[in-house]
Amino acid sequence: MDDPQAATASHKNPPYAVGPTLSSSAWVAIWLFLGLPVAWSQTTPAEPPQPEKPPQEVREAEFFRTRVEPLLVRRCLQCHGSEHKGGLDLRTRASALKGGESGDAIVPGKPDASLVWEYVSDGEMPPKQPLSKEEADVLRTWIERGAFFPDKPLDPFSATTDERAGYDWWSLRPLASAKPPAPDAIPDEWSHWRAHPIDRFIFAKLQEKGLLPNPPASPRLLVRRLYYDLTGLPPSPEELRRWTKRLADPSESETAYRELVDRLLASPRYGEHWGRHWLDVIRFGESTGFERNVIIDNLWPFRDYVIRSFNEDKPFRQLVLEHLAGDVLAPDDPQTAVGTAFLVCGPYDNVGNQDPVQRAQIRANTIDEIIRTTGEAFLGLTIGCGRCHNHKFDPITQQDYYSWYATFAGVQHGNREMATAEQRRERQAKLRPLQEKQQHLSKEKAALVQAITARAEKSAANVEATWTRPAPDRRQTIESFAPRPARFVRLICEATDTNPSARTGFRIDEFEVWTSGPDPRNVALARSGAKAEGASRIARDFADAYAARLAIDGDITTAWLAAGPILTITLPEVETIDRVIFSSDRTGAAGSHPVATFVGEYRIEVSLDGQDWTEVASSRDRKPVREAHRRRRLFEATITPEERQRLGQLDHELAEVASQIAAIPPLPSWWVGRFQEAKGPFHVFLGGSPQRPGEEVVPHSLAALSPTAGSYRLAKDAPESARRLALAKWIVAETNPLTPRVLANRLWHYHFGRGIVETPSDFGFMGSRPSHPLLLDWLARQVHSHGWRLKPLHRLIVTSQTYRQASSFRSDAARVDADSRLLWRFPPRRLAAEEIRDTILAVAGKLDLRMGGPGFRLYRYLQDNVATYEPLDEVGPETYRRAVYHQNARAAPVDLLADFDIPDCAFATPRRSSTTTPLQALTMMNHRFTLDMAEALSQRLAKEASELDDQIRQGFLLCYGRTPDKSELEACRQLAKKHGLRAVCRVWLNSNELVFVE
Amino acid sequence: MVSPIVNDPAMKPNEMHTGKPDVTDITRRSFLAHMQTALAGVGLLDLWSRESAKASEKQEETRGAWRPGRGETHFAPKAKRVLQIFCPGGASHLDLWDEKPSLTKYAGKPLPGEENFVSFQGKNGTLMPSPWPFRPGGNSGKRISSMLPHLARHVDDIAFIHSMTSKTNTHGPGCIFMNTGHPSEGFPSAGAWLSYALGSANDNLPTYVAIPDIRGEPPNGKANWSNGFLPARHQGIVMSAQRPIRNLRRPDSISSAEEAASRDVLRLLNQRHADAHPGWSELRARIASYELAARMQLSAPEVSNLSAEPASIHRLYGTEDSNQLKAAYARNCLLARRLLERGVRFVQLYCASRASGVDGLLNWDAHKTLKPDYERHCPIFDQPTAALLTDLKQRGLLADTLVLWTTEFGRMPTRQEGTSGRDHNPDGFTCWMMGAGIAGGVSYGATDEFGRRAVEDVTTVWDFYATVLHVLGFDHTRLTWYYNGLDRRLTDVHGRVIREILSDRSNV
Repeated sequence: MDDPQAATASHKNPPYAVGPTLSSSAWVAIWLFLGLPVAWSQTTPAEPPQPEKPPQEVREAEFFRTRVEPLLVRRCLQCHGSEHKGGLDLRTRASALKGGESGDAIVPGKPDASLVWEYVSDGEMPPKQPLSKEEADVLRTWIERGAFFPDKPLDPFSATTDERAGYDWWSLRPLASAKPPAPDAIPDEWSHWRAHPIDRFIFAKLQEKGLLPNPPASPRLLVRRLYYDLTGLPPSPEELRRWTKRLADPSESETAYRELVDRLLASPRYGEHWGRHWLDVIRFGESTGFERNVIIDNLWPFRDYVIRSFNEDKPFRQLVLEHLAGDVLAPDDPQTAVGTAFLVCGPYDNVGNQDPVQRAQIRANTIDEIIRTTGEAFLGLTIGCGRCHNHKFDPITQQDYYSWYATFAGVQHGNREMATAEQRRERQAKLRPLQEKQQHLSKEKAALVQAITARAEKSAANVEATWTRPAPDRRQTIESFAPRPARFVRLICEATDTNPSARTGFRIDEFEVWTSGPDPRNVALARSGAKAEGASRIARDFADAYAARLAIDGDITTAWLAAGPILTITLPEVETIDRVIFSSDRTGAAGSHPVATFVGEYRIEVSLDGQDWTEVASSRDRKPVREAHRRRRLFEATITPEERQRLGQLDHELAEVASQIAAIPPLPSWWVGRFQEAKGPFHVFLGGSPQRPGEEVVPHSLAALSPTAGSYRLAKDAPESARRLALAKWIVAETNPLTPRVLANRLWHYHFGRGIVETPSDFGFMGSRPSHPLLLDWLARQVHSHGWRLKPLHRLIVTSQTYRQASSFRSDAARVDADSRLLWRFPPRRLAAEEIRDTILAVAGKLDLRMGGPGFRLYRYLQDNVATYEPLDEVGPETYRRAVYHQNARAAPVDLLADFDIPDCAFATPRRSSTTTPLQALTMMNHRFTLDMAEALSQRLAKEASELDDQIRQGFLLCYGRTPDKSELEACRQLAKKHGLRAVCRVWLNSNELVFVE
Repeated sequence: MVSPIVNDPAMKPNEMHTGKPDVTDITRRSFLAHMQTALAGVGLLDLWSRESAKASEKQEETRGAWRPGRGETHFAPKAKRVLQIFCPGGASHLDLWDEKPSLTKYAGKPLPGEENFVSFQGKNGTLMPSPWPFRPGGNSGKRISSMLPHLARHVDDIAFIHSMTSKTNTHGPGCIFMNTGHPSEGFPSAGAWLSYALGSANDNLPTYVAIPDIRGEPPNGKANWSNGFLPARHQGIVMSAQRPIRNLRRPDSISSAEEAASRDVLRLLNQRHADAHPGWSELRARIASYELAARMQLSAPEVSNLSAEPASIHRLYGTEDSNQLKAAYARNCLLARRLLERGVRFVQLYCASRASGVDGLLNWDAHKTLKPDYERHCPIFDQPTAALLTDLKQRGLLADTLVLWTTEFGRMPTRQEGTSGRDHNPDGFTCWMMGAGIAGGVSYGATDEFGRRAVEDVTTVWDFYATVLHVLGFDHTRLTWYYNGLDRRLTDVHGRVIREILSDRSNV
């Protein structure tokens, strides 16, 4: 960005806030301001009186404003604005007259000397579509008449063009006060479509296209549809029977339907199902992602909070505020403050990087992730595209993007203690006396140790005289001894060479045992039958990575990584030996680096039977490897028995206090993020690079929305919490048209499988246009009028005839509207991954409806520096809960859930795919889960009915909500007779009818 | 400008995507799909290509009639399939491919202009020569490390790109950047893009297979073969000589008679249900997917059956080597060839795995002790890889197979302070290509005198994949998928075809 001011300055309604930037002392005023129930400035300040201008200039200005500016904005500025293609910037008179790399772009009065005209008249520019004759004439005339420019730079965002959205983009406009079309346009035979406002909107569009809707769905299908839609689970046969009966009875059909809707919305299953939708939108994932991808075990409180919020019908406005600033709203209320986990439940790179340039880039990526998710989830704006340059397609500037950067700059991923003030006080009161005792004991111990150490140094010389041999050498340590027969040889580590108190964590790249005599052989070789045992570091995804065998494999490029102090070597047979040679770094490549940690204090023992051991060598007469080891030896040589006893006592008491402290339950600590003061000032990063700071930015409202939604602009030293709260309040301001539009569309999307805008998180130029714009705005207004509560909106939508119509296919209608976007039918759908798994568990009678708490796992979690997730071949009853309670790690796709398109939450998923692949068939046919559930279902049926035919009938009711016809019954009967009822159950679990809802 | 070229007339889809397209109308074609399905049984091709509705419709309007997923390309391809060999951990260009005599000449001296500079793991020491000499190979005399004597025989067929650069110095993001063109997770890997672009060439096998090393998954694991935002069917299917495709086998508790009878009843129930729901193409797609799965159950074990190969082949690859890691990788190399031979479009083959945290043991990440580390890794990598290339060539497969060798970044010319290893270097490293469409014996681009930075013909991952797609018959700027605000590409918004390494440059 060259001239960042330019992008916004000429906008008619100044997009940045009215009023001056606040001084540091004025942030209190912001608080007051924000504390008020939405008091956004919506009015444009009156233009200051202009001095009279000569009539000719007025005329030119008018010509420019009406003819030239739209032309330049629409056809030229895309490249010759902030992009400076060819060095040319046509936004101001000065830059336009300066010309570009090829020369004078515009010579006032002389079109033929102007390169702009030359390129345009040659048809070279604009490159994709030349100017029309009329446009070209305007351009020529303008240059001829002196190329008038106003004082303010042109704003490339001032109007929507063929290539991009401007401030006048549909989704940025205020909500229309749309009235449903008049009911009398609906013909009499469709009179039941007249009452509901939604139906009137939908019918009108259908009529425009010469289409009519379907008749109502049958009560049975409607009940099933409603259950899945509102709770994600099938009705039980009993529920289905009851509700179908009532819905079929004309005298109470309507009241029964409404009663059913209310019941389902009141069911805790509702929050589990719709909460899961929301978790998609906000890329909720329970591992850090990236290389380490460490699992996060304390993020489930946020999942529970989302489910609870939906079940309680918390106003969405409140949810947004809590997501962005719950800690500010209620610092002492964990159930509210947990909302900020929204900010940190995305992936981030925590591998650690010493390179400062890369570190800054990684931090910028982390904040970018938060910016993008926030923009897309609440506003349906791809603000992330403003990171490196102004958004290519939407009127979002780099300043906008970095004002959000300044807003989120204090957010850190990680845990925060979540407790009320009372809980904190209580805990502190219990801790204090113990901590005092601990301090007291530690002090005494330190004094005692110091006294011994002082004595030890005095008599050091005598002890040191016994250390005659060189210290152990990582490259090669040899211990020779008198020849003796042995079958077993062991190395016992008493201290590693890096830490006198550690007995393991060293490595041995090779351990050799040599025979005595004239022709010595190394008999400790795996390939000649020797064995090595010793606890080793575990890498569960590669079992033998560091095994003890690697110490006797004859290969110094591989090593045993000890996890215990002893390496035991068993020779194939008894040999007479006189030497062992061992090392941790035979090549010497590692030097003193801890990567090749070696034994520092050790002894070597041999045995004939593996029972009786004889020491043949030790490090005791060697020089110590390090000063710390020297001190340790002297200490041990000096300490008196009394002192040793006292020291042991102190250690014992210290351990006791430590365990008492540990016994006081810690305050809950959840993955909700930490907030540090945002150390400004913040700048635009030119080209997205933290190494190229540009213009300074402060948190402020998005320019393009400010005229409608109101604006704010915080001081550059505004507190971190105020930044997030200001943004949150602005997002949910009643004047902000995008938030309710996006929300209403999401609801519609999940009810009908497709939004009025088909790109639920992108209401910009690249997104789709609304199929029913007025309906969308009408629904958005309903969001406001229902106080941002979702349940009334669900009720509104599902009670429409549009929703209640049949899904049957009509080829005549399909010819006009193949995807039933206009809703001439209810669009049928395949169940989502969670619904499929939940359904299988439900029909098998195994679904465990316990809510909340830590999630279950369908993978084995392996961690060895980085994390690996291995899908489980068998899963137990602890996994028989609803899939929303699966611990949702990133890059850990598992079987059924992954095959049926559960998103890998690397990004937000505003809309799931629904694919069909043979992998689904393989999983559903062959994974143990299907077999277990088929078995469970067959046992259930055997319990519920005695005759085979009845069992099959009951199975049909459970799986499909209907009874079989003759041929179906016969086929199932034959299969059951030959291969058992379980075979039939397996077929049902694999069948289409189970996983499709119409 | 271009007419569609059908890459493989025998091509049939092996699976159908029946999900809803991302945006806007799909109207005409999907309507036809519905009708064909309803009228003529299973109009698989149409069903299957619906997924790309928006992207393809746009292209149809502006560019002619290329349709994804049908074996069609933008222009005549040179390669029909891709083998990507990936050595994760940041395989050192300076110790394998990019000889720098100055490292010997100035050994122990600071790197001029960057004394004591800080990189991924911290401070760097002085310049460190490669522990092994480089030797000339082939007619071209291209010099590569003497640690790779088998691969040295192939240098005449290889186009080295010595000026690769990455955006990140971290393994995880680096690997997925090298595989997806983006350093953050969630984007489709090159194999997934190709699966989307071409569809399958073999009904009975996956289109895109990832073969992880026996030592485990590469850094960032499954994200390396992810479908990202593309439909799930484009994900890399994981298999190796050690591990069959997941859930492939019929459970032991189910007899083949029960399986057959069950499938019959399933077919009957599904067929009746589908008949009762005309115009609902997903139902038919799912019926067909069960048939395809059954065929895959027969084909996949066949392709994994390495014992069908003659002893001479096993010897060539080294599948019986006493070094168990080498033997395991060799078996994966042999599996890769069998997959390519049978029409798998994209095989991603890993040699080594993730970061161990104890340095250099599981992969090429030699921070502390380069010499023993690489004396461990090179023998595992060298012979089996060279054998695979030899075998592809002798079978004529190299004529239409593009081979890629990749790693996520290179290593520093200096030793890490206090060690004899090298830190990560994203500013200059080597990758290479060979096979269909690629000129052999070429060295393109260069790092500076010390190998610290790419200075000549600096190349990005996007250039690399622009070239790969070009060889496969695609204009990388036109292979797109709408996702969250943008028509996304494998090459992001960048990429230049490296014409200098193409065998036929007339078409660029």
